[in-house]
This record gives sequence, structure tokens and C-alpha cells, in this order.
Amino acid sequence: MSDPVTKPRRRVPRLGFVLLLGLVLAGCASDAELDTLQPRSGVADEIYDLALPVFIIAGVVLTLVCGAVLYLGIKNRVATYEGDDEFPEQISHNNSLEIAWTIAPAIVMAVIAVLTLQTHFSINSTEANAMTIEVAGETVEWEPTIVVVGQQWWWEFRYYLDGTQITADDLENPWDLPPADIVTSGQLAIPTGEEVELIVTSRDVIHSFWIPQLNGKRDAVPGRFSPWKIEADDPGVYFGQCTEFCGLSHSRMRMQTIAMTPSDFQDWIDMQMAPASFDDELQPYVDAFRAGEPATVPDDASAALRGLDVFAGQCASCHLVNGFNDLTYDGAETVSGSAPNLTNLMSNTTFAGGILNLYNPDGSFNRDDLARWIRDPAAVKDNRADDLPDGEMPRGMPDRNLTERQIDDVIAFLETLGSSPGDEIILATEVE
Amino acid sequence: MAIIEEPLALETGSPGTVDQPLGMLTRPKGGNGWRDWVSTVDHKKIGIMYGVAAMFFFVVGGIEALLIRVQLAVPDGQVLSAGLYNQLFTMHGVTMVFLFIMPLAAAFANYLIPLQIGARDVAFPRLNALSFWIWISGAVFVNSSWFLGGGADCGWFCYSPNSGVTFSPGNGVDFYVFGLLIAGIASMVSSINLIVTVLNMRAPGMHLFRMPVLTWMLLVTQFLLVFALPVITVALFLLMFDRLFDSQFFNPEAGADPLLWQNLFWIFGHPEVYIIILPSFGIISEIIPTFSRKPIFGYSFMVFSGIAIGFMGWGVWAHHMFVSGIGPMSVAAFSLSTMFIAVPTGVKILNWLATMWGGKLRFSTAMLFAVGSIAMFTIGGVSGVTHALAPADTQQTDTYYIVAHFHYVIFGGGVLGLMGGAYFWWPKIFGHMLDETWGKVHFWVMLIGMNLTFGPMHVLGLQGMSRRIDTYAAGFGFEAWNMVATIGSFVIAFAVLIFFVNVYRSYKAAPSLPAPGPDPWDARSLEWMVPSPTPEHNFDEIPVVESEDEWWHRKYGYDEDNRVVRIATIEEAAQDGSAVGVHLPAPSFWPLVVAVGMPLIAYGLMFTLWLTVVGGALTAFGLYSWALEPVDDPDADHGHGDGHHGDGDDDHDDGGDTDEPTMAGVTAGDDAGGE
Amino acid sequence: MATATVDTALDTAHEDHGSSTGISNTKLAMWVFLGSECLLFGGLISTYLLYKTRRGPGPTNLAIPTDVFDIPFTSVSSFVLLMSSLTMVLALSALTRGDNAATRTWLLATATLGGVFIGGQVYEFTTFLREGVGFTSNPASSAFFTLTGFHGVHVSMGILMLMSLYVASVQGNLTPKNTETVEIVGLYWHFVDVVWIFIFTVIYLIPA
Repeated sequence: MSDPVTKPRRRVPRLGFVLLLGLVLAGCASDAELDTLQPRSGVADEIYDLALPVFIIAGVVLTLVCGAVLYLGIKNRVATYEGDDEFPEQISHNNSLEIAWTIAPAIVMAVIAVLTLQTHFSINSTEANAMTIEVAGETVEWEPTIVVVGQQWWWEFRYYLDGTQITADDLENPWDLPPADIVTSGQLAIPTGEEVELIVTSRDVIHSFWIPQLNGKRDAVPGRFSPWKIEADDPGVYFGQCTEFCGLSHSRMRMQTIAMTPSDFQDWIDMQMAPASFDDELQPYVDAFRAGEPATVPDDASAALRGLDVFAGQCASCHLVNGFNDLTYDGAETVSGSAPNLTNLMSNTTFAGGILNLYNPDGSFNRDDLARWIRDPAAVKDNRADDLPDGEMPRGMPDRNLTERQIDDVIAFLETLGSSPGDEIILATEVE
Repeated sequence: MAIIEEPLALETGSPGTVDQPLGMLTRPKGGNGWRDWVSTVDHKKIGIMYGVAAMFFFVVGGIEALLIRVQLAVPDGQVLSAGLYNQLFTMHGVTMVFLFIMPLAAAFANYLIPLQIGARDVAFPRLNALSFWIWISGAVFVNSSWFLGGGADCGWFCYSPNSGVTFSPGNGVDFYVFGLLIAGIASMVSSINLIVTVLNMRAPGMHLFRMPVLTWMLLVTQFLLVFALPVITVALFLLMFDRLFDSQFFNPEAGADPLLWQNLFWIFGHPEVYIIILPSFGIISEIIPTFSRKPIFGYSFMVFSGIAIGFMGWGVWAHHMFVSGIGPMSVAAFSLSTMFIAVPTGVKILNWLATMWGGKLRFSTAMLFAVGSIAMFTIGGVSGVTHALAPADTQQTDTYYIVAHFHYVIFGGGVLGLMGGAYFWWPKIFGHMLDETWGKVHFWVMLIGMNLTFGPMHVLGLQGMSRRIDTYAAGFGFEAWNMVATIGSFVIAFAVLIFFVNVYRSYKAAPSLPAPGPDPWDARSLEWMVPSPTPEHNFDEIPVVESEDEWWHRKYGYDEDNRVVRIATIEEAAQDGSAVGVHLPAPSFWPLVVAVGMPLIAYGLMFTLWLTVVGGALTAFGLYSWALEPVDDPDADHGHGDGHHGDGDDDHDDGGDTDEPTMAGVTAGDDAGGE
Repeated sequence: MATATVDTALDTAHEDHGSSTGISNTKLAMWVFLGSECLLFGGLISTYLLYKTRRGPGPTNLAIPTDVFDIPFTSVSSFVLLMSSLTMVLALSALTRGDNAATRTWLLATATLGGVFIGGQVYEFTTFLREGVGFTSNPASSAFFTLTGFHGVHVSMGILMLMSLYVASVQGNLTPKNTETVEIVGLYWHFVDVVWIFIFTVIYLIPA
């Protein structure tokens, strides 16, 4: 402690250096898919271009202040006041100096303010950018708009492709949204090179939708429909994580955005629009179910059929499969939204709120994790869905107490829903 | 009533025996041991109790923080369950804000304000005791949740509708609601009391613009409290009504707007930031001139920038809500106002530097903390400017970048400053110095620890790590910096341990060391003219103030060349504490009784109503007895004015309030101390 | 010497005449408290303004307070409350003159007028409940009951204070020396009245 003065000074710049180094390192990390400093879209670039000079200004200010502390500490330090009756000059004020250093930061702030407002209004504006897509054989002018709905603890994405432009003003009730042409969960598919408008809402608590490399975040507030947008320059997979604390499994509410070329996106639409196709063995069961006369399934039926029966009894009150228990069948009461729509399950590569892989890296089906999830969801992802007091709605997927055989069967059925998106996507979207 | 409540014709501390015609309503005479502490109305003892309790909760909140850091040290941490983790980060925030920093600042405010303005006590001594006891009962109440089903798990700002009974069915959020309501009552009473004290109890000649900067900053803080607390009180009541009585304030399915809570919370919450930071600014403004041997540079700019921060702090709350969908125009407006609040803050920093300019700097531990606090606060300040850029904030908010930012502000700007204050005033409060060598080690370890802990969080946030996640996946580049932060948190814990060891060692060593005397630092304000530790009556005679830095001017003058010359030694200028017969306010047990009833009311509303009846009765009984309690000795002849009123027991929530006359048997029975 | 100074300082402090601002501690505390109360009611009024038309979802279209309120009735009870400010002033003035009987009369009158107002509020609440507008019906009704309820509690507190003064007066403990006590209670009472003017305007006069 002989020289307590120089150390604080040294310490502070070193911290700034550590910080800078950290930023650099972060920039170099190849696996940093959430990194805000690696923007991959026009919007994210704009934000980055605004923040960077301000970071530099902040760094300069910080260096000046800490440098002044350092300089004054070294220059003016005395060991003790003992026996020292020499006082420094007792300067108590200097009003012109004060006014100068009140105005100077105000000017700096004014400059920053102008830049900020420009960027702010730019990233909050939208452009008219209709793209031509084929929907069920018809050509539609679609201004890319996707309704993003948060719930505990996964994201739903709703595509309205009938050619009528949907806006936030058209939507009133997140618990009763108009039927959409495509409903997916966990993975948001968008075309590259297009500004995609998002209408963000929630069905329970507040969540926040954030794909750092593509844009900042926007809260999903129940009862509100907040406009936001997203765009990607290049095809690829961009990761995200819910960023507003939303309860027990907040940390396990993850999402991805998969940007595809317009032609790939068209293929994706075609695949999603196709209703679930049931093979000859399942179709009679489906028909009977939709007619309100559930068939009984013999014990020696195929695993998929037995699985469909389990699904009908245990899962269908929350999960929709278009063509089976969708809203068009006789006596349907289920409202989509309490659980993900599974119509094209196998075209997804993640499940359980974006935390588990549906496929192994080699492209094979990841049966183990799906079985683990169905066997005891709460063990995989904390929830509040089992042993509830009367009247309490489950939060998360309940444990249906299926037998091992039932689990195998229902997985066999789920495997028939949609097809793999291909090894490239599987590898790019792999989590953990 | 009074200020110094009526003369009690006894020597300070004399046991004395007086008839007790009113039985239990006769005011206790103080005396010894715990009785003295629980019945005290002495602002100094109350200040010490605030400080001790705050440090206790610092340890509690610190243990919570360590558990959080252990969980996050490596990806997919398995130490804590998600539910427990959520409770821990919520309680860490609540504890550190409401049970550590605010009461620690209250400790300084209570102890120092009367001394700095030349008063014998605060305006309402019994209310002062009431504030403390209500606060501590609220603090104990909140923490009792750990044993009664678990703490709140909604984050310290507890956004609706997640805080509603649908999504948080346990009692944790109820503990949060009632705990903050109770603590809010305490802060409310305390801030009214201190405002009146500062405005009304100044020594002759102590004009407002001769008050020390610390007193000024504390005054601004109290005004912020007085106006901010009712807003969160409204929010908490609405939430409580929703949870207990099924109202529809935060139920979106019934058409409610969840942003109502956010607006109400942050209208309180942003001034709260300045409530946390301004006391530390005041402390720094006392320490730096003392150890620069110069007056504070630009006193009036220091004061006015503090006032400006106090005003502007009301116009920036929605910058906490830039991504909540409040609309681009609102965001733009609040973005601008937030940028310009940086201006008065910058003025303060520059004035501190100008004070050091040309000074003779002696780096005592207190000075190290003060200077370190400036540097660390500046880091938090400039990262704060980057949040003011609304577009950039859409990337930063709710990430670890924010966590880094507010820890640099609150820990760097707030805690370091308050720690410096502890080293600075320790001899005044306890009559012995804290060891300087240990103190400097404490400072360096703490500074390194905080930078190791919170510095990497900037990087983590920009790398995209969300806050409040109990695990993170490997592969996003979070691993290394999280490990560094966890190591840093244990370095901070070690620093706190060093502080406690220092406290213990210094206490043990004190008898063998020379007494510090009234003014060990050659300081500037009035508290240094009384002996250390401060005698119970503070001043032998109330000083007549003739200038800013009054005490310094009693020691030093200027010669014809305008050079500083000593005109009196400390011993000559200081008071010796020998006055006898100073009339002090008599102790009272009723504040404690009133306070104990409040958590009972809350427990009752949560678990079983009969407890509410018991608690309500206890509080009402306490208030009633308080009102009947003689202002002091019933036999004393007042000579003038019978118009004492019992200290108003202000219950800001439901308007109970000023109670009135005490004289005989009149009570304004504002029961309801509890809501 | 020292002691003499002490006593002087204490005397001034004690009698409040010598307070730095010239306003007594208690009165200053009341002013600060009332300033704080402004924010409390500000928060509640803002909440009501935000929610005043929110009936809740669905086809049921639950009733909200503005559907069922009776403006003439509430105008009368508002008038009663405003009149109580007048009687409060008269009580203070009577006490200043040393007219204890008149003081008591006016104190009682003030408390009674306050009580009539509270009675009117209770009647209004029960009417609302009968018409299907309950505390838990929808955000608008929750906000209405909370805002007016908080005000009602404030009025009730005021009545308690007035009655305490009345009892003190009966016991002979309220003398012209206590003028300031009555004045402070009056401050509170006038504040509560003024707040009601705002609430009345917001709820009953500004159309939905």
C-alpha cells in the first residue's frame, strides 16, 4: 500500500482493455450465433452502425475521466498531512468552466440524439414489399407478415397466405386468432431479401422475441399486437432466446429463424400447406374420428395406428394435426394455441420449445429424446402441469403417464407427420 | 411533536426515578442493554441499527448472488432447480435494493443529517424509531417467505401478468407485495421526517446553501422517495387486490393492459435508481474535499445538478420499456430525455475531478473508495448512455449487458461510495478508526472482484446472453466469461469478509490505540466538531453557522496573502461533550409495538384472517397508546404551548395520517396502520 | 453558559416558532404528506382513466360504472362534501375566537357531512352491485371501486380525526392554543375535498 494512488488508475484502463479484448474475442468466436456484434441483416446493421460510434465515444469519455483520475492521483498525491500546514490554493468555483462543461456534454448528447432518432424511425418503418407466392396452386401477392405468439414456454408462428394483408389492427384476441394457413412452432421460416413484418403477441405472460443477428427484440405482451420486423440477407439459421422473464422455464424458451431463398421458401410453403396424409391403415380411423364415432384399435394393429389411437385419447385435446382433429372436423372444440400444432412435426428439427433435437447429427430420427420428453416432460423442462389443484390450467406439457409401449406407438405415429427438411438444415439448426 | 420532545429534567443517561402515574404509558427512561436499543428514539442509535441490519441483509443478498453465480459458472448448471433459481434472483434484487442499499443510505441519513445541520435530533424522534421498526419487520417478513413456501419468483420488477395468481400461484409474490408495502410505509414516514428535519431544524445561520452537499443529496433523495413511493404503493395495492380479491387490473383476458404495471413500477423505479445513487454522490462529495484539502468545487453546481437529476429522473421511466411496444413516438421522447439526464451527472463527475485538481490528495481508505466509486460509476454511466439509444437498447435490454450496467451503477457508484462513507465516519460513530491497511486491502480486493464479476457481463450481454436464465447452452461463447464472473463474485465475497474482519480487529485493537479525537481527518462539516463517538445530545451548544464548511472555517482562516492559516486547533474549536442537563426526547416502546403488528396483518391476509385481527389490534393498540403516551415526563412543566401533537403516524397508504393532539386523551385513532 | 444556550435552542425548537422555515414541524410534515398523497391519487386516477371503458372480453359485454351511475345523486353528495370544507373553516375560526361551543358544533357538522358523503358512497356501491357492476367484473369496475374506495377511506380517516378533536373539545382540551392542530386536520380535510373534485370530474363529468 505504499503507493495506493497509481493502482486505481492502472486498474481502470486495464478494465477497458479487458472489455475491448472481450468484444474482439467474441467477434472471433465462430459459434456465437446470438452475437449482437455480428449483424446479418439490414436492420441489425443499422443498429450496429449506430451503437458502434457511441461505444467509441463512451470509450473516449471513460478514458478521459479515468485518465484524469489517474493523472490527478499521481500528480497531487501526498502521503500525509502531518506537519503540513501548506494548503493548496482554495479554489471553490469557476462559473464559466461549469457552464462550459454543462454545455459540452449536452452538445455531444444532441449529436447522438440526432443519429439515434434517424435510426430509430428507420427501424420502426415498414416498406411495401409484396412477393409472389403460390398457395395451393394459386398465385398470391403476399406482403410477408407473420403473427408471432409467445406462450409458456414456446413460440407459435402463424402465416396468413390468402392474399388479404393482415395487420395488427385486424387482431383483437390472442386467445382466438383467425385460422391461419400455416401454423408452426419453434422455428420461424422466412424468405431472404424480404422485409418480413412481425405482429408479436402472447397468450399468457410477457415474452420477448429476439433474434439478435437479425434485429433487436420486441416484447410479446398478452392482449397487445406489437409490430416489429425481421429480415435476413443470406440463407441460414439464426438463433434466439426469450428475453423477458416468463416464469419457470424462461431459460428453456428458445427459437430459431431459418432464412431460405424465395424458391426454397416456396417449397417450404408447399410442404406445410399439404394436409397430413394418412396411409391406408390410418385413414379409416381418422374418418371415423372426424365423424364423431371413434373406432377401436385392435392390439395387433400397426404401431402407427395404435399410436394414433393414443394420440386421439391423450394428446388431441391440446395438439392439433390438420386433417385429423383440426377445427373443421365434426364437434371440434380444441383451440389451437395451448400446444404446438403437429401437422408437419417431422419438418421441424427441434422440439420442446427449441431445446431438443428431433434428428441426430447424422440425419437419423432422434427417438430417444422424444421418448424422454413424452415419458416425463417436467424432468426435461421444468413446468407446472402435473398434480394441479382444481381449476388451475397446466403450464407446459403434462405427464400423461403413458406406458413404454404407448410411448413407442405414439412416436411411430408422430414419425408419419411430415418429412425431414434435409441434412443441411438438420446440422445448421442443431441445439446444445 | 416535537423536535426534541420536551425537556426531561435529567442528566443525559441518568437512570432517574420518576413517579409513574400513567402506568405503562409512562415513557421509559432508556437505560441499559437491549431495552435501550428497542426503545431508543435517538437518531444515532437508529442509524446504527439501520447500518447493522443493512449489512446483515447485504450478507443474505450476497449469499443469494453467490448461489446464482455457482449455478451459472458452467453451461447447463445443475446446482439449483429453475424454481429455486428464479426465487434467488428475485430475492437477490429485492434484498439488495430494499433491504441493503436503501437502509444503508438511511443509516447515513439518520446519523448524519442532524449532525450536519446542527440539530439535536430529527423532527419526530418517535416516528424515526417507527420507521426503523416497520422497515425491519418488513425485511424479516419478506425473508420469512423462505420458510413459508418459498420466495417471490417474479423478478424484482415483478411484471404482470406473470405476477398474477394464475401464473404465480404460491405465496411468494404475496410476500413481495406486502413486504414492499410495509417497507414503503417505513420509507415514507422516514422521508417525511427527514425532509422536515432538514427544512426546519437547521442551526442558526445554516442556510440551505450552506448545508453540506451530503445533506443536500439526502434531501433530494427524501423528496424522490416521498413522491415515488405512493406510485408503487398504488401498483402494489392493485396487484394485491388482483391476487387476493380477484379484481381485474392485470388480467389481459378481461381486457386489462399489462403495461399499466410497467408504467407504475418504473415511475417509481427510475427515481429509485437516483434514490440509491444520490446518497453515495453526497458521501463522495464530503470525502473528496476533505482528502484534497480544498472546498468542493462548484458547490452550487453540485447542488443544482443533484436537484436537476431529481427532477429529470421523473421523465425517463419509459426507457425501461423501449421494447414493450409503447409506440415509436413515446420511445423517441424517452430516448431523448434519457440522454440529457447524463448532463447533470457528467457535471458532478467533472466537479469532483476539479476538486482534486490542484489539491493535496491523501489516499486514505475512504478516499480510495470515493475515487474508485467515481471511476466505476463512470463505466456504468457511459454504458447507460448506450441504453439511451433506443435502437441499440433493443439489442441490449434484458441481457447481461443491462445487468453489467446497473451493477456498475449500484455497486460501483452506490456500494463503493457507501463503503467509503463507512470508513470515513466510523471514528465518529464508534469512537475508533477502522484499520487503514486492512481497509486498503478491502478496497483493492473489492474493486478487482467487482470488475471481474460485472465487467465480463458486458461481453456476455453483447454476445446475446439473456438475463434471468437459469441455464445456458454451451456453444454460444458464454462459458469463459461466466466462469470469470463467478470467480469474481467470490472475490467480492472475500472482500466483504475482509471488511468484517477489519471491523472486528479494529474493535479489539481500539483500547490500545490513541483515540481518534473529534476530527481525525481534518474534515469540514459540523459533525466533526463534536467528540467521537458522538455524545447522546450531539452538540453541547448549537453552533451558529457563518459559512459553508463551517467547521473548517473554525479551524482555518486566511492571512493577508490569502493563504490558509490555522486559527484554532481541533481541540480548541471542538466541543467536549460535557454539557449536562440537555433535554432529550424520551424513549418509547410503542413504535416497536406498532411495527410488529404490520407483518401480522399481512400474514393474516395470506394465510388465516384471525392473524390480521391480532395484527390490526396490536397496531391500533400501539398507535392509541402512542397518542396517549405523554410527550415525556407528565410532571414536567412545559411553561408554554400545550399544543404538542403526537407525532403523526403517517400511514401514507390509506390516508391515516397525522394524528393529532396528544394532550390528554385525544387520539386520532387512525388504526389501519396496515392496510 | 452552555446550558443557557441549550435551553434557548430547545425552547425555540420546541415551540416551533423558531423553525428554520417559520412553519411548524407538524404542519410542514402534513404538507409533505399531502404532496405525496397527490401522487397516490394521481396513480389511481390514471389507472381509472386507462380502464374506464374496458368491459372485458366476449359477447357478455359486462356493465361498467359509467353505464349505471347516477350523476344527480353523486352531485348532491359531492356538494355535501364540499360544504363540509366550509364548516371546517368555521370550526377553525370559532376556535380562534375561543368559542368552544361553536367549535364543537362546526366540528360535529363537518364530521356529519363527511359521514353523509360516506353513506352516499356506500349506497352507490350497493346500487352498482345490484346492477351487476362488482369489484371483480372488469378492469373498469375494479378501477372505479379502488379509486373511490381509497378516497372513501381517506374521508373516513378524516372523520376519525374530527371526532378525536370533538372529544378533546368536550374534555376541555381543545383551546385556542391548539388552533394549529385543528388547522392541520383542516388541511387534510380540504385536501380530501379537492381530490374529490378531481375524481368527480374524471368519473362523472368527462364523457367516456
